[in-house]
Order: sequence, then structure tokens, then C-alpha cells
Amino acid sequence: MLTSVFIAVVSFALFWMAAFTLWWQMHAWRTPEVLASTRFSRPDGDEHVSFSLLLPARHEQAVLDHTVQRLLESTHTDFEIIVIVGHDDPETTEVARKAADRDPRVRVVVDTHEKKNKPKAMNTALPHCRGDVVGVFDAEDQVHPELLAHVDHAFRSTGADVVQGGVQLINFHSSWYSLRNCLEYFFWFRSRLHLHAQKGFIPLGGNTVFVRTGVLRDAGGWDPHCLAEDCDLGVRLSSAGRKVVVAYDSEMVTREETPSSLMSLMKQRTRWNQGFLQVYRKRDWKQLPGFGQRLLARYTLMTPYLQAVSGVVIPLNVAIALFLDVPVGIAFVTFLPAVTALVTFVFEIVGLHDFGKQYGLRVGFGHYLKLIVGGPFYQVLLAGAAVRAVWREQRGRTDWELTSHVGAHLAHVNREDVPA
Amino acid sequence: MTSTLPAVTGAKVPAQRTAVPSPGSTRRTTSPERLRGSRPDLVLCAVLLVAILVVQGWNIADYPTLSDDEGTYLAQAWAVQEGRGLAHYTYWYDHPPLGWIQIAVLTWIPAHFAPGSMTVGSMRATMLVISAVSAVLVYVLARRLSLPRWAAGLGMVLFGLSPLSVVLQREIFLDNLAVMWTLLAFCLAASPSRHLWHHFGAGIAAATAVLTKETMLIVLPAVMVTMWRHSHRDTRKFALTGAITACALIGVSYPLLALLKGELFPGPGHVSLWDGIEYQMTRPGSGFVLDPGSGSYAVLQSWLYYDRVLPVGGLAAALLLLVTWRWSVTARALAGPALAVAILAAMALRPGYLPAMYVIQALPFLALVLAGGTGSVAHAVLRRGRRTDERTYLTWGRYAVAAALVGASAAYVVPRWYDGNRTAVTADANAPYRAAAEWLGSEVDNPGKARVLVDDALWLDLVHEGYKPGLGVIWFYKADLDPAVTKTMPRGWRDLDYVVASPTVRRDAVDLPNVKAAMEHSTPVATFGTGEDRIEIRQIQAAGGDR
Repeated sequence: MLTSVFIAVVSFALFWMAAFTLWWQMHAWRTPEVLASTRFSRPDGDEHVSFSLLLPARHEQAVLDHTVQRLLESTHTDFEIIVIVGHDDPETTEVARKAADRDPRVRVVVDTHEKKNKPKAMNTALPHCRGDVVGVFDAEDQVHPELLAHVDHAFRSTGADVVQGGVQLINFHSSWYSLRNCLEYFFWFRSRLHLHAQKGFIPLGGNTVFVRTGVLRDAGGWDPHCLAEDCDLGVRLSSAGRKVVVAYDSEMVTREETPSSLMSLMKQRTRWNQGFLQVYRKRDWKQLPGFGQRLLARYTLMTPYLQAVSGVVIPLNVAIALFLDVPVGIAFVTFLPAVTALVTFVFEIVGLHDFGKQYGLRVGFGHYLKLIVGGPFYQVLLAGAAVRAVWREQRGRTDWELTSHVGAHLAHVNREDVPA
Repeated sequence: MTSTLPAVTGAKVPAQRTAVPSPGSTRRTTSPERLRGSRPDLVLCAVLLVAILVVQGWNIADYPTLSDDEGTYLAQAWAVQEGRGLAHYTYWYDHPPLGWIQIAVLTWIPAHFAPGSMTVGSMRATMLVISAVSAVLVYVLARRLSLPRWAAGLGMVLFGLSPLSVVLQREIFLDNLAVMWTLLAFCLAASPSRHLWHHFGAGIAAATAVLTKETMLIVLPAVMVTMWRHSHRDTRKFALTGAITACALIGVSYPLLALLKGELFPGPGHVSLWDGIEYQMTRPGSGFVLDPGSGSYAVLQSWLYYDRVLPVGGLAAALLLLVTWRWSVTARALAGPALAVAILAAMALRPGYLPAMYVIQALPFLALVLAGGTGSVAHAVLRRGRRTDERTYLTWGRYAVAAALVGASAAYVVPRWYDGNRTAVTADANAPYRAAAEWLGSEVDNPGKARVLVDDALWLDLVHEGYKPGLGVIWFYKADLDPAVTKTMPRGWRDLDYVVASPTVRRDAVDLPNVKAAMEHSTPVATFGTGEDRIEIRQIQAAGGDR
């Protein structure tokens, strides 16, 4: 009897968790109108906002120049690029200086912190920013030339303090986990972030994020001690009631690559999880005015751990139903979480199809197969990263484990540069 | 152009694309017409609903004759309420149990306050709830399929007031519940907001309909067509896969139930889902429906006896809509219901088993296509080819033709429906049943010890009179077909005290040796009614003495 009650309670909890996550994940596709509203609206040709684009680069000499050149191709007329390099990184500095010599719009700022990380680098550059809006990109990003014009329009037409553009991992064909990784980004930026913006609580992304310079300075820039400084900034700004707008256009997204190895993905995810945990413990989100907002914040920041738990408990639950002697009614209840998991699975398959359509990529049968078969393993990976994050946080290890980039997405996306 | 990427999906959403992607922009700019907020719709729907409830509810317990199936489902609902499992005899996967679980829930409150009311006659009243919901859903669906208000009202009237509907919807049939769920699925599929979770809900409702009465499975393609037509290009694949997934996952719960009970596959000493399906699939056919000698033909005639307007008119309208598909907006709007009618008609033409309640599933769709067809005709007469500068006499001519058509149809329909419904609200077909139950309650000395074979319709009455459910008062065919019952009758008919020979018992006794023997070795001690419909209480000879 006690077992039955316990199982039922756990099952219902898992069910509601999975159901809510699913509900949010599918936000953008709820109605055609919602889907239409998640896109950038067409710019009116007017340009009033000036941009300072921050480009922190660390040991990125291989890709930096390409990224800068591509940013310079932007159609917007008023922007500067500030490349932030480390004083101990002569190769990257060399590339940055050359770029600055070629074009006056490029400037170089040297970060002299002894221990380096991305928030410190960006804080170093913040006083040098001359534009109305600070934008952040990563050194390996592929930025669409018309993005700034769209963002400009979005700032003017919505009166937003923050505009978050879409970021999309593209190299889904590289490996089984990159397939799932790409899809995670797709659901996050295509759909879920819009819900967060609507609800007034948003963990921002690491790049293609634009903040009014004044707002950013008032907020004191980025938190140099947080491993998820982007998420933290979003939480602080939305807790302070700043207006955040999210827009996703498959044409206009910033293209990125997945981590090059399973281990680096693991490290990246550990860092994010640890960062989320730090943001949770900073309690800035407690200032959110609405109870629902605080609940959403609590839930979102704890997601990695809930994910880890549910990944283990769902199969266990089903096994209990099948092999232990529990009443049929209870056994039915234990299947509820599995049902939501299955629905999520199916929507992921459809999402992969949509992803392929949106980006004109050929998604073959093998990819769908990989998506399905890889699902449980990816779950294990996520759970591993979550456990690792808790472990590191407990041990007080808060240094950055950087992800290295090889530029796998470049060859692929370069097609775009060929004039038709 | 330098981009090799395809442009964002070109289709523009009808609702104006909002100027900016602001957080509040999820509100649609042109809000869909809300039925809930439309006073004329509410008034019309409410008035028709009251009329339907009065006609269906008046005299509901006494007409039509109690059916064996009603008794079966209500008794099983009673078993669910009493915590005796899914049925009071071994549940053998004849139908998915969800139907009578719903009946159990529906009758729970009245049965709680008045346990004696848990009999077929009195519990028919709860079917009014189902009828009411279904009738309203027919109206909502008609409006969502863009029929004009009057046509939606006509559909509701056809569905709720046809004498055929009145007779069948009064009865405690699983089909009536399944119809309600199917209509809900259609309404959600045609949701004007085209919401992903409405479509998902449509899948769930459709699965519930199938689990209520498995024959609803064949109507699902029509739900799909409706959903396809009402979803938007950009979100369609999510909506449709969502609905199909929901439907499949809910549907899987039935085999899962069997699996958890260890009864999925046949094996010695237990029933199984496999056997249940095999039984349903191999039921002896009742012949071709248009062959006058066949059982199916008799069933068809029994429907046409109550009403010809709805079945025949509906079929004709479905045909009209399918033929005019190319030109008629109404025909395309009603594609779902028309397809449902076509599928159900095709299935009826198959020389398989045609149950008497088969037509129940078709009633709402017949009503909708007939209303839609009428709308089409009205449009053709009043509007087609009409120019703004049309001469007055032509316009008046159109109205005259329309008035003539309305008059002619009314002259045909009203007297027939009046007669049919007058019978429904006045006739008392169940007096013999009530008298038999009363007799068995008062004239038998020790009901707790007596063993009686009855048909399912009377079973609960006797349970309330103090007979022991299951082995005291016995569903007559269980005496031959259920090993758990026959095992308690080692001496065959000698172990019984009474047989209540209703028409059903007399009809089926031919194939049931124990029942047949009991009939042969018994004499009537009380007879109620006359002729074919009479109910005899027959006492077994030489019983009692040694028991």
C-alpha cells in the first residue's frame, strides 16, 4: 500500500513536470499566430540605433578573422566591433590588430586579468563602448548581414531594453550527440525563449544578445564570478522589470557549431548547469513580482537537476509497473510520465523535420533513427553533466572549462557566401 | 540573391502578422468569433436544447422496450461502482471497459442517494446528459464548419428530434457516449484558434471515443480530414502528429490493461484480449443489408420504421455534397462529416454483422450533412447567379421556390415526426418488465437463496430485490457460457428455481442447452403482457423440494 502511494506520487510529479516542459517547449507552435509573432518583423529602412559589438576571443586565431570580416559585411551603417583579447594570447591579438588596421570600425581591447573568463573580458570592454546598444557575439559566430538592421527595427518598434536573436547549431550531421544538441537549440531559441520573454523571466543566451548600453551599465555589466553570466544577466534584467524581446528567423540566426567532442559537450553542459545553480543561489529571481514568474524561474533554473532525476526515475517507474506486483490502477499511473516522454519524443522527430525544412538541410532516415536511438544516451549525458555540476559546485571549483572550436560549421555555411 | 537558403515559409497567416515580436503579441489581431459570446447563437441553442430534452426525457423510462444491452452495460457499471472489478462476471474483453466506467461515474451520484434507482428504466435519465452535450456539440461543430446559424439549428433539431434519435438516444448504449466523444473530437479538430493543444485534445477525445465503443475507429479518418482542413500550413505537421500520437497513446492503454492483467494473449484458464477481438471479428454476419431475406435488412427496416428523413435524407445530402465538392464551399467545409457518412454507409454495405445500434454513430453526421445539404440548396435557390440588379420578380421567384421547398418538406416531415415522437412520449412498453420485477420481489419467499435466470435488462431490479448478484440472479446465457457459473450448477437445470422468459431469453435459448432445458422443465407461474412481447416467470419443476 505504501509502495503504491509512493509510486503514484512520484509518477504524478514526474508527469506534471514533463507535461509542463513539453507545453513550454511547444510554445511557438501553439497557434499559427504565435508562430508568426516569433519572427523578426521586416525593417522599415530607417536606422537610428548605433551598435557596439563585443567579440571576446581567446585562442581563436583560426576563426576570428572570418567572423570579423563577416560582421563587417553587415548592411547596418552605424556600428563598431570591439574585439577583446587576452594579454597572454599573442596569436589572437595579432589577428585582431590586423583586422583593426584594415577597417576603422574594428577596435581591440586587451583584457589583463590574471585569471580570465568571458564576463571579465566583456566588463573590460564595456567602458569603451560608444554605441547605444551593446551586442555580444562569439568568435566563431556566423552572423547574417541584415541582422543588425532587424535588431535596430526591433528596438525602435517595441521599446525593448534587450533584444535576443536566435542562435542555432547547424552541424547536426557531425555526430549523434550534435544532432540532439542542434535540436535542443532549435526548441530553445525557436520556441521556449519566446515563452520566457512573454512571461517576463528570461535566461538570456550567450550571444546575439543586444542590450541598451545604459541599461547594461546600470546593471553593473556581467557578473565575473558566474559561470552562466548570460543567464544571470537575463535573470537580473528581467527581475528589474526590463523589457526583453526575442525574435527568431531561420535566415537571421547566428550559426554556431556543437562542441567537437563528447567530453567538451559534457564540460560545456557542466558549466551551464553549474552556472544555473549559481544563478539560482544568487536569488535575484526572488524579486520577480509574480508568483508564477518566480515559480517559472525556480523551475527553469533547476531544470538540469530535474532532468537528471527524471531520466533515471522514468524507466525505473515503468520497470516497477511491469515487474512488481502493484494494483493495475497504480501500474497505469506509472506509465503517465513515460507517455509524456513519448509525446516529447514524437514532437522532437517533427521538430527535426521542421529544422531540416527551415534550413534547407537534408534530413535522412538515418538521422531520425539516430535521434530516437540517441535519446536515452543523451539523457544519460545530461544526467552526468548535472551530477558533475553539483559535485564541482560543492567542491568549490568554479573555474571555466573552455570549449574549443574547430570550425566544422564554416565549410558548410560558406556556401552562403557564393553569389548566385 | 546570394542566399541559398529558402526564404522563411512564404505563407502568410490570415490574422495580420503583428508589426513587432513583442511579448504581448500572441493575442490574435482579429479575434475569432466566439460562440460563447454570441447571444443569438446562445438563445437558439438553448431553446432547441430544451425542446430536445423535453421530447427525449418525457416518458424515457417506459419507451422504448428495455434492451438486453442496456442491462449489460448498466449492470457492469454497477459492478464498477460496487468495487467488484470491471464486471460482475469475468470481464472477457468483449468491449473496452471505458464505456461503462463512464456510465458508472455518470450514475454514481443518483445511485449513491437512491441505490434502488440503479435499474435500466430509471437510469435512462442520465442519458439525457449525454444527449444534451452531444446536441450542443452538433450545433457548435456546425458553426465551426461555417454553417449559417439556421442550418446549425436545423442540424441540432435533426440530430435531437428525429424519432429514430429519440428512441436510440434514450437507451443506455455505449454508442451514445462514443458519439459524444467523437463530436468533441470533431469540434476540437475544427477549433477556430487552431491551437496545438486543441488538436492534441481532439486526439485524446477520439481515442476516448474508440475506447468507449471500438467501432468508432472507422470514423477517425474523418476527424483527420477535418483537422487537416482546419489547421494552418505552418503548424499543421505539429498539430497532426500531436493528435495522432495522443490518440495512439491513449488507445494503447487498452492492450496495456490486458498486459498488466496478464491477459493479452490466449492461454489456459484465463480470458484474453486476443480471444475477445477474435470473437468480435468472427461474429456471424447478418447478410447484405439490401437483401430482403437477411438480418441486416431487418435491422435497416427497423431504423426506417422510426424515421426515413434522417437516414435517407442524410445519405442523399452526403452524396450531393460529395458530388458538388468542386463548386460548393459548403461541401468542402463539411468534408469531415460527409466522409464519416460515406465510411459508415460503406461499412454497412459490407456483408458482416450489422448491430441494431450501428446507426447511432451515424446520426450526428447524417444530421450535419443534411443540414449542410439544405444550406447548399438554399444558397443555390436564393443566391446563385444573382446579380445586384436582378429584376424584382426574379428575386420574388427565388423566395417563392424556397418557400415552396420549405412547405413541402415540412408537410412531409412534421406529421411523421409528430406521430413517432408522440408514441415516444406516451407509450408504455415496459409494464411487463416492471410487473415481473415486482412479482419476483414479493412472491418469492427467500430471494437470497433463490436462483433465477433472467435477461440482463431485469438483472439489476432483482439484485435490488435481494437476490444474490451473479450466482443467485444469473444472466441467462452465463448458465451455458461462463465456466465460473456452470461449475455451480452440477445438476444443470435442477439447480435452478426460476427462469424469467423474456423475448430475448426465448430467442436465444435455442442455442443454449442449459437455458433450453430449464425452459422445457418449467411451467409459467405468472405471465405479463401478451403475444411475442410477453414475459413469463417460469418455475422449475421439482425444484425447491430438495433444496
